[in-house]
Amino acid sequence: MIGNLLARIGGAFLALAHEVGGVVHLLFKVLIALVPPRFDRDELWRNMYKMGVRSVPIIILTAFFTGGIMVIQSSVFVKKFGATSLVGWGAGYAVFREVGPILLGLMFSGRVGSNNTAELGTMVITEQIDGLRALAIDPVNYLIVPRVLAMIVMLFLLTILGDIVAIVGAALFGQLLADVSFAAFWTSFSQNLHIVDLTHGLVKAAVFGFIVSLTSCWFGISVRGGAVGVGRAVNNSVVAAALGIVLSDYIITYTLS
Amino acid sequence: MIHVRDLHLSIGDRPLLKGIDLQVERGSVWGIIGPPGGGKSLLVKTLCGLFTPDRGSIRIDGVEVCGLDEPALVPIRRKIGMLFQNNALFDFMKVWENVAFPLARLKPDLDEAALRERALMRLREVGLAGSEDKWPSELSGGMKKRVGIARATMTESPLVIYDEPTAGLDPVTTSKIYDLLEKIRQSTGATVLAISSDIQGLSTFVKNMMLVHDGQILFKGPLPALQECEDPLVHQFIRGLSEGPL
Amino acid sequence: MTRLANLLASIGAFVLGYVQASITLISIAGRSFRGIFHFRGRAKGEVLNQMYQMGNRSLVFVTVTLGALGMVLVFQVCLQINKVTGDQSQVGPEFIKGMIHAFVPILTAMMLATRIGAGIAAEIGSMVVTEQVDALRMTGVDPIDYLIVPRLIASTVMTLALGLFAMVVVILAGAFMAHTSFGVNYNVFFIFDKVLPGDMIIGVSKLIAHGAAIPIVAGYCGLTATGGSQGVGTATTRAVINASLSVIILDFIISAIGLATVQKVG
Repeated sequence: MIGNLLARIGGAFLALAHEVGGVVHLLFKVLIALVPPRFDRDELWRNMYKMGVRSVPIIILTAFFTGGIMVIQSSVFVKKFGATSLVGWGAGYAVFREVGPILLGLMFSGRVGSNNTAELGTMVITEQIDGLRALAIDPVNYLIVPRVLAMIVMLFLLTILGDIVAIVGAALFGQLLADVSFAAFWTSFSQNLHIVDLTHGLVKAAVFGFIVSLTSCWFGISVRGGAVGVGRAVNNSVVAAALGIVLSDYIITYTLS
Repeated sequence: MIHVRDLHLSIGDRPLLKGIDLQVERGSVWGIIGPPGGGKSLLVKTLCGLFTPDRGSIRIDGVEVCGLDEPALVPIRRKIGMLFQNNALFDFMKVWENVAFPLARLKPDLDEAALRERALMRLREVGLAGSEDKWPSELSGGMKKRVGIARATMTESPLVIYDEPTAGLDPVTTSKIYDLLEKIRQSTGATVLAISSDIQGLSTFVKNMMLVHDGQILFKGPLPALQECEDPLVHQFIRGLSEGPL
Repeated sequence: MTRLANLLASIGAFVLGYVQASITLISIAGRSFRGIFHFRGRAKGEVLNQMYQMGNRSLVFVTVTLGALGMVLVFQVCLQINKVTGDQSQVGPEFIKGMIHAFVPILTAMMLATRIGAGIAAEIGSMVVTEQVDALRMTGVDPIDYLIVPRLIASTVMTLALGLFAMVVVILAGAFMAHTSFGVNYNVFFIFDKVLPGDMIIGVSKLIAHGAAIPIVAGYCGLTATGGSQGVGTATTRAVINASLSVIILDFIISAIGLATVQKVG
């Protein structure tokens, strides 16, 4: 019974080590391909368009409601003290530094990362990757590097957009639900927040984009076991990305302060 | 048994069935052939109410199927046993549970021992004695088909539909499957519709044929008449010629 | 110009798609909730099985992610307070309150939308494309009663349980962080009298709503899967994103209702 349990724990750790090792290995291959830059430019633009532009609606919706939730939470907090002048600051601080990057990163992982895993995984099981190799095209340079770059750039840009939409949403719902006028919201927002609050979150966004790209590519190219394997890989990939986002958020917060 | 009049069905904005008229007598045995993507599977699934047609009428034993909601379709579906194209075995049930499932739904008062016994009997008839406690994923292609056939005929329903009973099987297994289908048909006297792309094999089993192409029935009638059909597409298809309209 | 037109078109198609999908979704939701009331027999075992799988697959995941988030959030709060007043005595009570009615429900549900939602969609989606759902319907089984209702019950119960567990994890992790990095005493941190019954009501209702929404949205994505094994992948992706989005929107709605009712001040 105990031996069985230990074996299962050991097995889980081995599996984890396998995935982590795979991701790190992939990371090195990507870095090598970047100096000097050897990757497919067209593939980069195509991916940026597909991952970025087509995620705009979902990012806007997410950010808008996130702003609303944050303004409600901060008004619950400050209303007791009668300090409605702090609502803009509270909502902005939470959105810029934590909630914005994390929620947008999770949505990006669900939308773009899981698509990417499914796409690469399907290419593996239909032997398209082997086909590329047969044509002497390096799959890392051709498929992975453009995707990694596209995801980093696009999550960064989408987070800027999302931050703006979230603040608009917060100001709007602040007026509608918490009796905080636009002017009071704006004064509180602009006087108490610093550019570093914004950049703190944007650094996170870029790192989250990097993590989502690496995990989703790794789980995609390491698919085994046919169509069922693709489904399982998508599932594992979004879970790994969520873990990566939260853990790196912790590390970045700690090191940046 | 089945009366279909002017059946039209589209999915999205693509029309897939374009005016099907069909009459199937009780106890008759029909083969359905045709090029892939022509609407064969869609037609039989629509007969069971698995798809809702745009217009037209389907009557099974005099009861209009079109326009019924799911609960109202239950008594009609109980008259139909179906083997699906990819067997559709429930992968979360063991083999015997798969076979017993339709019976358990039909007669909820049967206890597990009785269900298991009936399922084992059926499995023996299709040549799968000893496989009852396996999972579907442990079976070969031919064995899965047999389980599917056992499940489709478990309740001895008056209408049985086989969608590709021999697809992907070797010639020996194919002829064994057709022998099995014939044996089951003789013992139950059920009306049968069988879809296949293997015309030769199917011809040993069915008495009538229809050819479905592009959402329409191009030919329907007794087996010998198929060979004499003048339609150039039918002519090409049943002879497997590379020259022609297809 | 064409880029802009494309963008507008994609937003338009997105909204339209959502309107059409919501109609189907609402009907599935209605039938699922109705299914709970005439629910019996064999399916009890299925509910327990689903609960075990959901809990088993998510416990470590929720502990790690929510624990890390709890530490981060306390860190950010203390940092800001240090800059403004330096009075750390309010950190614990306000943090605990905020976690219970706001952060833990949405963050736990976002994590579970990923974990449970993807699993449900993949499972039901592959049953659809392998015609198992058609085979169920042929024997007179309603796929909603048979597949969605047990998952709905299991997910609602497990999301609530995991959420309450996550509250404990987050508060402990937060206290640990506040103590080690900012020297906040544990007895100053663990003060629960700021937590009003209203906060608990809102936190629990959010967890229940999210726990019910995830299987319905993911089940809907699975049931509407089309076209072979690729369809399962698409369904899984859609399930993650739609379940997450529905969690955010539901959270917003319940927060707004809470602000207007039980959390009303004055």
